[in-house]
Amino acid sequence: MSVAVGAERVVSMPRRRRFAPGTAVVWVVLLGALAISLAPGAYMLSLSFMDNPQLFAGRVVPWPLHPENYPQAWVASDIGRLYWNSVVVSTVSMVVTVAISALAGYGLGRIRFRGRGVIYALVLIGLTIPLQIALIPLFINLRSLGILNTRLALIGPYTGFGLAFGTYIMKGFFEGLPRELEEAARLDGAGEFGIFARVMLPLTRPALATVAIFLFLQNWNEFLFALTFITEGRMRTLPTGIYALLSSEFYGNYPILAASLVLFSVPVLVLYFLFQQQFIEGLTAGALKQ
Amino acid sequence: MASVTPAWRRHVAGYLFAGPALLVLGAFLLYPIGYSVWLSFHEWSGYTPGWGPFVGLENYRDLAQNEVFWKATLNSIVFVLVRTPLEVGLGFLLALLLNRRLPARSLLRTLFFVPVVMSLIVVTIIFQRIYEPNTGLLNTFLRAMGLDALTHPWLGDSATALPAVIAVSVWKNVGFSLVILLAGLQGLPQDVIEAARVDGAGAGQLILRVIAPLMRPILALTALLSIIGGLKVFDLIFIMTRGGPTYSTEVLATMLYREAFELNNMGIASAIAVILVTIVLGTARVQTFLLREGKESGTG
Repeated sequence: MSVAVGAERVVSMPRRRRFAPGTAVVWVVLLGALAISLAPGAYMLSLSFMDNPQLFAGRVVPWPLHPENYPQAWVASDIGRLYWNSVVVSTVSMVVTVAISALAGYGLGRIRFRGRGVIYALVLIGLTIPLQIALIPLFINLRSLGILNTRLALIGPYTGFGLAFGTYIMKGFFEGLPRELEEAARLDGAGEFGIFARVMLPLTRPALATVAIFLFLQNWNEFLFALTFITEGRMRTLPTGIYALLSSEFYGNYPILAASLVLFSVPVLVLYFLFQQQFIEGLTAGALKQ
Repeated sequence: MASVTPAWRRHVAGYLFAGPALLVLGAFLLYPIGYSVWLSFHEWSGYTPGWGPFVGLENYRDLAQNEVFWKATLNSIVFVLVRTPLEVGLGFLLALLLNRRLPARSLLRTLFFVPVVMSLIVVTIIFQRIYEPNTGLLNTFLRAMGLDALTHPWLGDSATALPAVIAVSVWKNVGFSLVILLAGLQGLPQDVIEAARVDGAGAGQLILRVIAPLMRPILALTALLSIIGGLKVFDLIFIMTRGGPTYSTEVLATMLYREAFELNNMGIASAIAVILVTIVLGTARVQTFLLREGKESGTG
């Protein structure tokens, strides 16, 4: 059985108690924890507006501000190119993965065919297995195919390793859809693919959104494959591009590095704040459904 | 209920839908597993056109005699044993605190989750700066508080490097446990809790005797996700300490990378990959089993 979760339960919270003992304590703990959660990010933001003398004086608040760090960071880390590479790689693999996951989720969730248990077991293994198992085999094979240092060297592996999560979520969602819709469409003469594409798929929009956002962020932040399969500067994505800065001449200039980190994080945070409801609820629903 | 579609059409349709996924999983999951296992029985630098000679279990025997391997295994275990209780414990505490009518509750949850979505490269670089001995935030703060005696080269000393790295990991992941546990708390049968409260159970009793047992499966699941994440940890350590100083933060994943791409021992690195996967899948298996037991005794 699945553990019931859902946003609708939020409304039926415990009734307000007449006397809330320690409400002050609760707030102190919560705000303290929140401060610790957010302080490092705030520190990064503050560093990105300092110059080196302020940094070495151990300052926390930057004053006077040095906003010129940002254009410098943009140029120094060639961040425009890194953005473009990251956007292309993350988006293409996300779209491909979502498409394949939706098909597979429908097949596994709604069609009783021989062998689906085995395929689903593979999906579950894919959910837990460490990326490391594929690191050497993929490196060797991508090298002999001559596609190391191309976008394809990341798009393929990202699709492969995002697929298990996507299929898992989509299968769960398709399974939960009412049978009547399908029967009605079938009586109207719709084929299996018609039922999938015109009846079922539109209903899974929330799940599709969760999968898409999750995969995009995962690809955007991925480091190990990007480090191993892209060894030249031109095709680097943001994480390894920033990592390369550490060993470059800019390591001495920490504020510029910090500004690059901020520029790197902004799209992720914007995306997160825009879609956080779907993101969090999708994730928790996925986790608690097991 | 009964579908009129003939059986063979169902099977074909199933494979048409699941086929692309099966191909991709075959190429990126099954094939690499087989490849790694087979390569782990060979010696190879990665630079000759063909693999080196078949050496049987030699690579595994080498690892068994390699101190760094045992150090890395021990560090992986310590990493998990320290990180998971902290992550789940703190996450549960915060979830309990958030599971009540608070103004801005949803906003708080959103903010607590921010470290989870931040990229590890960003997080590690910030924390490197925070731990920096001379002008870093942590030591500066300690000096400002008059606690000069506590200032320390956190990442530079092999005694404190692993705890310092674990702290970052906990910091980054507490929000994830929090969000899952909070959703779990909100799904609990409120009437049971209300009844216990009416019976005069205090907050402490309520949590220990009523809420914690009801939450056991979800707590176990959160722990499982944290353990698996902990065993796989790579970016954090690779960027922050590269496994140093003197292997004090080396874990299996960083050792694998070093063996493969710095020492050119593809066979040994593959053996590590196989061991790592065995540990991770084994842990997942054992814990899913325990989880099921727990669930059955919990509901039955």
